[in-house]
Amino acid sequence: MQRRNFLTLGAVAAATAVVAPALQAADERKAHPDAWTAKTVDDALKALYGKTLADAKEAHVTVKTPDVASNGGAVPVDMSCDVACESFTLLQDVNPESCVVVFDQNDVTIPKNSVKIKMKKSGSVYAVAKGKDGNLYYGKKTLEVALGGCEG
Amino acid sequence: MGMRIKAKLKGDVVKVKAMAKHPMMTYDIAEKKTGSRDNANFITHWDGNVNGKVVFDASTSQFLSKNPIVKYEFKAAGFKKGDKLVMTWVDLKGKKKTGHAKIK
Repeated sequence: MQRRNFLTLGAVAAATAVVAPALQAADERKAHPDAWTAKTVDDALKALYGKTLADAKEAHVTVKTPDVASNGGAVPVDMSCDVACESFTLLQDVNPESCVVVFDQNDVTIPKNSVKIKMKKSGSVYAVAKGKDGNLYYGKKTLEVALGGCEG
Repeated sequence: MGMRIKAKLKGDVVKVKAMAKHPMMTYDIAEKKTGSRDNANFITHWDGNVNGKVVFDASTSQFLSKNPIVKYEFKAAGFKKGDKLVMTWVDLKGKKKTGHAKIK
């Protein structure tokens, strides 16, 4: 390889390295460590967004689960939000900690996700979206869990 | 431990279904089964990208199910059939696993 080409490659590599962080996925566990140890939905939201459910509007967000989940080890949850948002979070109020998953949003992601989660006993799940307008929106669903899922 | 991914382009949206093979051992289960909470291990971050663009970005806790399945969608802007979707998860012990699928 010629020296000139090599240098050009090096320059390209360096440029890529500088751009890379913007393309990198965000790790919310590092960015908001307190959210992952919070024992209540409100504490987790405070750590993530600086607000609580009382500041959020119950609108734009849909959460679906079965009314009765036979297996608490894998409760299917469908969540979607119909306004543009920066971040979309799933929480529940029965496990030792509240936060389950944070989906960070960018210009191509769509806030529409399905996941299976563990639930220790009957309780509620909350999907909370931080809208691009700065407001918090949430949806809530209360369900019965026949067999708790945190025991293994 | 691996990952299974299906990605399908439909209209202007790519729909993805992904399953990671991971025990997702919570602190409570670890304590009960092994006697130590330190043996807990679960996926903490899971992302996906196509052509270097992040299309999925999830930070996760111990409460995803065992062998967690996630479904998500992203806008097909600039992506086409045959493009490669690369997904990577990292767990609490720092183990990384990458899987990929072609967008169909």
